[in-house]
Amino acid sequence: MRTANTHPGFSLKIVALALLAAFGSAVHAADDEIAALIRPDSSVSVGAAGLTGTNSERSWFGQYSGLRRDDTYLLLDIDVIKRDAATGTWTTFQGRDLGLDTREIRFGQQKQGDWKYSFDYNEMVRHDPRTINTGVTGTGSNALSVTRLATPGSGDDLNLDLKRKIFTVGVEKWLSNSLQFEASFRNEDKNGARLFGNGFQCTSGAAPSPTCPASGTQWALLMLPEPINSTTQQFEARLNFSTEKLFLSGGYYGSFYNNQFTSMGATVNGNLGNPVGDPMSPALTPQLRSILQLPMALPPDNQAHQIYLSGNYAFTPTTKANFKYAFTHATQTDSFGAFTGAPAGRSNLGGEVDSALYQAGITSRPIPKLSLLANVRYEDRNDKTPIEYYNLEGTKAFTNGNYSPKRLVGKAEASYQLPAGFRGTVGADYESVDRGMFVPTNSVGGISGLRQKTEEAGYRLELRRAMTETLSGAVAYQNSDRSGGTWLKPNTGLGVTPTSDGAIYNRTAIFPMTMVDRNREKVKASADWSATERLTLQFMAEWGEDKFSAPTTKGLRASYMGFYGIDAVYALSDDWRLTGFWSRGDQTTHIDHSTGYMAALRNRTETFGLGINGKPSGRLTVGGDLLLSADKDKYQQDLDASASAASKTLLATSGGLPDVTFRQFTARMFGKYAIEKNSAVRVDFIHQRTKLNEWTWGYNGTPFVYSDNTTVYLNPKQSVSYLGATYIVALP
Amino acid sequence: MKFLRQLFASCVLLGALAGATGAVAADAAPAATKAPAKDLVLKGDAKCTSCHDESDEPKLLHIGKTKHGTVADGRAPSCTNCHGESDLHTNNPAKLKERPPTDRSFAKSSKTPVAARNESCISCHRKDSKRSHWEGSAHERADVACTSCHQLHTAKDKVADKRTQPEVCFTCHKEQRVQVSKPSHHPVLEGKVACSDCHNAHGSIGPKLVKRDSVVDTCYTCHMEKRGPFVHSHEPVNEDCGNCHNPHGTVAESMLKSRPPFLCHQCHTPHGGQLAQLRGQLPLQPTATSSGKSGINYTQARGCLNCHTQIHGSNNPSATNPTPQFNLR
Repeated sequence: MRTANTHPGFSLKIVALALLAAFGSAVHAADDEIAALIRPDSSVSVGAAGLTGTNSERSWFGQYSGLRRDDTYLLLDIDVIKRDAATGTWTTFQGRDLGLDTREIRFGQQKQGDWKYSFDYNEMVRHDPRTINTGVTGTGSNALSVTRLATPGSGDDLNLDLKRKIFTVGVEKWLSNSLQFEASFRNEDKNGARLFGNGFQCTSGAAPSPTCPASGTQWALLMLPEPINSTTQQFEARLNFSTEKLFLSGGYYGSFYNNQFTSMGATVNGNLGNPVGDPMSPALTPQLRSILQLPMALPPDNQAHQIYLSGNYAFTPTTKANFKYAFTHATQTDSFGAFTGAPAGRSNLGGEVDSALYQAGITSRPIPKLSLLANVRYEDRNDKTPIEYYNLEGTKAFTNGNYSPKRLVGKAEASYQLPAGFRGTVGADYESVDRGMFVPTNSVGGISGLRQKTEEAGYRLELRRAMTETLSGAVAYQNSDRSGGTWLKPNTGLGVTPTSDGAIYNRTAIFPMTMVDRNREKVKASADWSATERLTLQFMAEWGEDKFSAPTTKGLRASYMGFYGIDAVYALSDDWRLTGFWSRGDQTTHIDHSTGYMAALRNRTETFGLGINGKPSGRLTVGGDLLLSADKDKYQQDLDASASAASKTLLATSGGLPDVTFRQFTARMFGKYAIEKNSAVRVDFIHQRTKLNEWTWGYNGTPFVYSDNTTVYLNPKQSVSYLGATYIVALP
Repeated sequence: MKFLRQLFASCVLLGALAGATGAVAADAAPAATKAPAKDLVLKGDAKCTSCHDESDEPKLLHIGKTKHGTVADGRAPSCTNCHGESDLHTNNPAKLKERPPTDRSFAKSSKTPVAARNESCISCHRKDSKRSHWEGSAHERADVACTSCHQLHTAKDKVADKRTQPEVCFTCHKEQRVQVSKPSHHPVLEGKVACSDCHNAHGSIGPKLVKRDSVVDTCYTCHMEKRGPFVHSHEPVNEDCGNCHNPHGTVAESMLKSRPPFLCHQCHTPHGGQLAQLRGQLPLQPTATSSGKSGINYTQARGCLNCHTQIHGSNNPSATNPTPQFNLR
């Protein structure tokens, strides 16, 4: 905090004295001034904004801001904050972005230390930045219709939106000095559609004849917007009890998801396209058409009820413990509805999962220089969902599995104040996961092995120093090793069999990244330097490495990350402040594959920001900032001797996957001018340029085309300017 | 304040013309001896406001606009509750040119230990259930002071407003500042999602200070459709959304840590022997009879999810061929 050394002559006290010396009545003016300084502010801000560019040119800018669809918008914000000085009762009414489809309204009252209630309404929208050109109709419903377009791009443009409307009510009441009741209810309606789809190829092991024809390859991919019309509700109520040493909070948390739709499906009209975009010849078979028209499941209704008790206890002022116990009963019994072919007697999954959570921690400072911490957490998930034969692959029938992991996490830490301002910290971490026995009637698909148990243990070292009053810094090192029990090899039929590493596996086997052995190292350094009274600098550097090992050399092998940055704040004067930062992130992931490729995926990000804020005069406040963000993803692929001749030719000729680059430049400026004591005008200007060069939906002018000639488009170069002006008036 | 200054100058002039005795000194102390100082905002604040006022930075009197300045609430503190009695600062008995600091000061350069600074706040706020796990939390262990994030002498505490909160968090969390600017992100910079929607900076029992007890439970508060359980589950989904997603932002769509097929190939064996390929990329153009399980179909559009569309799980119970055990529908 800077104090008033530079303004000794203009304290309110002196003003009041001067007023008294001149004429007593003017003292009231000073009182009014003081009252204004300590009274909560209320204001209304009204204005308009306009944007340049087309809908597609502001698809990034308008993704979440509510500023995409139209060229002009009403800007309306309301802040009414009142306090009854006699009772300490606050009344708040706030409205933000009321002219946009991201509007928020809040009303609340509270008497501090006694009671409180509030109502919140919040709209949030995501306009998918991509535009779909399609012949699909029925978007928003669960019954879609697919008709192949004659040529890509000849369909209707479809922009998908997802809107959330959230209503929250909260209440609090202090029942006594030591007992408080809190409750909240949140209802969220989610409506819209998102990009979704399906695809299938005949012939298929999963669809032997007659489901698919016995011969002749035919496949199709469809873009089908997923209809979203769901409600999420959360209710929480708790009692908090506190004494000098003890705090207890016990309560109930219920969460409920209800989806209007159980399933969705599409009618496929006529023929579809082949891989080169021409009509299929021979035409789409009845079998593949039938598979494509099968209903697809949508997220089922589900609910969870949790009771919990948490809190803390101070054994002494320097030794404190905290704890939590929670028990959750979650169910999913949504009717299978229109689905056919469920196992006999089952009209719903009967999903039931009980979870218990235990946590205890203690911190202590036995001597002033030594600080200790120990914490343990155990989570026991018990999946009680009935096991049934839901699966048939050819003639092989198998059941669902269950997921009942037991997870133990612990850590211990000691921190000691060393001479010369140093503080050293040593920590140890441990985590084990026991995923339980594999259900013997289940079958593994798509992975080469499983592990029931994994364990990770590690340590941390940190040295921190407040070097001088103006320079402080820290350096930390972290190392951990994860390993696990015997690998479980999928049987040809059902279940798994424990097996030793190595030769038993095919050399191309891939093991899940969450289960393979891992060594992790991380180094982090930071410094905070007040170079002069006006200049502050922050430096930080972080480096990390994960090395994975499994019975084969395929799959995830290693990842590296580095992050470096500098921040600066410079006070040009008492009224002007300059800020700036630069940072670079670099991350590489090595993934080797059975096709013989060795991928090195590298993401490099540079970000630069510059800002200025100032007060050129007593009435005028201005500010602005620039943000430049540049991302580059490289997809380097090398081949080993096992790669096919076709892969070698492809890589040699094409050079592999091109880089994906994303650059965004944003400039923001504002000026606020006080017309009178209680009114002001504000002007905001934003200019944003975005350039995305990617191949997700097209490459070098050739679009990715669905089987009905649906294409997806994103304007790769976008430029948008925003100008908004508002009139702000303070309310009495 | 310009008005006050002009008023002050006018009054001095008028006072002198009216024969008022004694000049009004630049320092208020002489006048203070004539009348006891009056509290301006908080009970007993005259001890401080006789010297400090809104011309300080931060503007001290603005605490009157806040919950702390609600004097009708008997629990509301006075200056000395937080800053200590600070007699050395007030009286400056050694007549030092630069007064000794208050007993507890909260500036970045303060020599008051962080634990002592925080105790000023916790002594009252320890009854808040959201702060029950402050002790032992990552921020507490890293010596983060309450005032590193919170501003008290202002009506608008930046960290309490979701539109300005990220600026405060990004002061330390630089990597996340970069990630929220990536093309696929939660609307943090747009002011619709705040860091505190997912994290409890005051301590939690979950990893990374997530608000609820685990990463998945925190994500389910907005994405409950992913909770299941499903007929066909995808275990990493139940385990940790962070296995595949970076919620702060990525270049890949849906905040995926990397694009399919590479993301999927970290656990799964592929179809056939194709390399990732793009439609239109020479030399291998698709033909009318190319397989659907091609390098193109698992690289472009939604990648592997083009067919394995129910990646978070499927509740399709159909037990007839083709069953959806590979999350196909």
